[in-house]
Parts: sequence; C-alpha cells; structure tokens
Amino acid sequence: MTPLESISEKLGITEPWIEKGGVHWLTLGAAKVRELAKAMNELHARFITITAYQLPKDEGFRLEYHWDLDGQLLGFNFQLAAHSIDSIYDLCEATDWIEREIHEEYSLDFQGREYEPLLLRQGDTTGVNLRDAVATR
Amino acid sequence: MSYKIPMGPYHPALEEPYKLDLICEGETVIDSKLHIGFNFRGIEHLAETRNHIQDIALMERVCGICSFIHTLTFCRAMEGLTNQTPPPRAQYIRVIMAELERLHSHVLWAGIAAKLMGFKTMFMTCFELREKVMDILAAISGNRVNYSMNRIGGVNRDITDPASILKMVEALELEMARTVIPIFTTSRTATSRCAGIGVLTTEKALSCGVVGPVARASGLPQDLRKAAPYAAYAEMDFDVPVQPAGDVTARLLVRALEIMESCKILRQALAKLPPGEIHTEGEKFIFTTGTATARVEAPRGEVMYSVSWKEGSRNPARVHVRTPTFAVMPAIRWMVKGARLADTPLIQASIDPCYSCTDR
Repeated sequence: MTPLESISEKLGITEPWIEKGGVHWLTLGAAKVRELAKAMNELHARFITITAYQLPKDEGFRLEYHWDLDGQLLGFNFQLAAHSIDSIYDLCEATDWIEREIHEEYSLDFQGREYEPLLLRQGDTTGVNLRDAVATR
Repeated sequence: MSYKIPMGPYHPALEEPYKLDLICEGETVIDSKLHIGFNFRGIEHLAETRNHIQDIALMERVCGICSFIHTLTFCRAMEGLTNQTPPPRAQYIRVIMAELERLHSHVLWAGIAAKLMGFKTMFMTCFELREKVMDILAAISGNRVNYSMNRIGGVNRDITDPASILKMVEALELEMARTVIPIFTTSRTATSRCAGIGVLTTEKALSCGVVGPVARASGLPQDLRKAAPYAAYAEMDFDVPVQPAGDVTARLLVRALEIMESCKILRQALAKLPPGEIHTEGEKFIFTTGTATARVEAPRGEVMYSVSWKEGSRNPARVHVRTPTFAVMPAIRWMVKGARLADTPLIQASIDPCYSCTDR
C-alpha cells in the first residue's frame, strides 16, 4: 500500500487523489481535519502551512492544508460552511502561528484553542479583513 | 522565584523588531513567549491589487537577503499557471544565482554569529568574504540586493563571464577551508559559546516543522534541492550536510559545510552552463484559472508560494507566502528553555532569523 493509499484508508476516503502541478490533492469535509492531523503524525509527515481563501460574496472560506511527505507535497482542501474549524494545534504544534495569523486576518475560529495575539493588527483587533482594508485605501 | 525579562521589540541584541518575554529563575530561562508582527506589511494582500509584473517587484521585497529566492518561487508558481517552461540556460542561471545568494546569506550569518560570540576579527573576515559574493551578484544583475533577475519563463540577464565567478568561488572555498571552518570548530571562543547551547532535539524539530539548516542541524536530512529538485538541481552532484546534535555548534557547522557544497554546485553549473535563450518568447501571458504551488530551498529553508488566479483577471486572486523563519522561529521557545540568559541572543541568532520575511 502506498503512503497516499494509507492516508485515504485512515480517513475513510474513497475519492481518488488528484495530482496537479506537483501537488497531490484530496478534498475533505471539515470534520476530518483532526483525523487528518493524526494520520500525518503517524506517517511523520512535516506540516508546511495553511492557506485561507475568502470566497466571493457570502460563500465563506476555503482552507488548504499542506504537508510534506518525503519530498512529496500533499494538499488537503476544506470548504468551510461556518467561520470555524477544529484546531489541530494540540496534535501538530507547527500549526500554532499560522492558525493565529488566519484568526487575526480573517476572524476564522480554530475551535478548541486559545489565542495570543501575533500583533498583526494594531490594538490586537481580529476579524478585520486585510484584503478589504487594502482595497478601500 | 521567577521573573520576566522582556527582550525587544527594540533591543541591542536583536537585529530587527520582535519581542521575546523570557521567564527566568536566577540566570536560567525556564520559559519564553514570542511576539511578532511589529512591522507586518500585508504583502500577501497587497499582491492582490497588483499585476504580475508589479507583483514580481513586490515579492522581491519580502526579504532583503533572499530576494532572488522569493521571485524564483513566485515565478515558478506563475509558470505553472501560464504553462511556461524556462529554457535550460535560464534554469542553470537560476541555480547559479540561488547558490550565490546562499553563499551571501550564510557568510553574512557567520559574521553576525561571530560578532555575537564576541569574536570581532572573525566578523571582519566573514564580511570581507561576503563582499566578494556581493561583487559577483552586482556584476551579474547590476544590483547588490534586489536583483530583478526572475521573470515568468526565465531570467532577465545572462551570465556572460563565468570565469570571473569561478575565481571568486575558488577564493571563497580556500578562505573557508583555511580560516573560517577551522577557527569556528576549534577555537575556544567559538566552542565555549556554542557547544551544547540552544539544543533542539530531532523529535522537537519534526513536531515544530522547522526547515533548512536548523532542521538539518537537528538531524533531519531535508532539502528540497534533493527531495524535490527544481531548476537544474537534478543535474548537480552535491551532499546535504546533516548534524545530529541540534545545538548552536551544529547549526554553525551545517551552514559552513553548506558553503562548501554551494561552491561545488557553482563549479558544476558554471562548467555545464548550456547555450541558448534565457527566457521564453513573448511578454504577454494567459493565466488559467486555478492555484499553483511552488517550493524552493532558500538559504534559511523551504519557501512556499501558493498563487491563485482567475482567467481574464489582471491580478492574482490570492498569494500566500510561507517563509522559512515563520516555520523556524516558534522553535526558539524550546531552544532557550534551560539556557543561561546571556546565551539567548546567540541562540536566537543561530536560527538566522529574518523578521522581514516573518512580517511579510
């Protein structure tokens, strides 16, 4: 069984991986994020980052989680129905700063953790969208 | 009784602003908290308001030292969205520039580390060596810092005099082998300040997701130039130095050995530099809808860009930059735990932090 097949099995996913531009992609439901972190820990994969995408109008957010597995770049897509997702900080401490940064920039809530401000915004303000702030200047 | 010592955001021991609250018992650090964001620039969001040409210039300013690496990663992502493949000569020039930038970064770091050890003569030696690299970078690109070398589909400037670069490589190799490495590894000043200090174990390095020389100095053999080769790295023969100790000495050694490996790569790239064009034809690019991701091994470790575009748009829909210091800096908390207060500036410097990258 390949590492990618073992990840699918651990997560109970039957959809195939999609390889695009050197990244192996899997789309998951937000409820799977903690299972994903545990599966990555078991494989000793290295966490890289989370990228937040604000979708048009009121469609919410999409998050992309990236891990490196022996040089292979893995990407996991999460479409958020609400402005929150479970934090994986307790399972993967490398996510600490990026979860805090996304929380400050977009006011997304990573549930189950406490935040200390990264001071990206004056006065520790969260939920002030930087994209909107730049666009209105 | 414990007490808190705030270090920063403006402090003589820090080169740039960030804040470290050190919780101490006597002279021993028992815990710490890091604060960043004092100069946060919102570059990712600013990129959404610029076109691709303006964005290359913008991304060059994410970091003052790895400016080439940032545009290389950004252009590689955009090449994925525009279906461009740079010609072989451009791929070799990218390797040469990336390794020159690594030399410049590592030698600069060695100088700063020497200064923090109280070893001023070594600081002077390292900065003299660095000038030789800067001269070559300026000769190739016309600039000492922001080189404007990368474009979608290749590079803007050719290398017309490979022999002069080779001369600098030989001089640098000689001085590193004759002076810098022996002194850093055997002098009492260096060893007494660095050995067994600021340890990051292999397990902690993996769980913190650290990258680059810091990871390799903690026994993790990760290097994208080997694991996921880009540009012309697949055609280069080189080793990835790894040290298991995880202390400041290990970080120093890894970077010193990487300088020698960079010289080895430069010799090969200069000898095999293929003839031909340095970029693809045309100036207008058609961006397809989607997200492209690119990763590059910068001097401080992995840089990753995710660039998202909508067909027909002038500007990217989203640019996300994951810089190496953003991944490495949280691990300082574990490195300073149990350290003497006086060692904390050197421990912080040993990760070669870039606050400009972190506050991107």
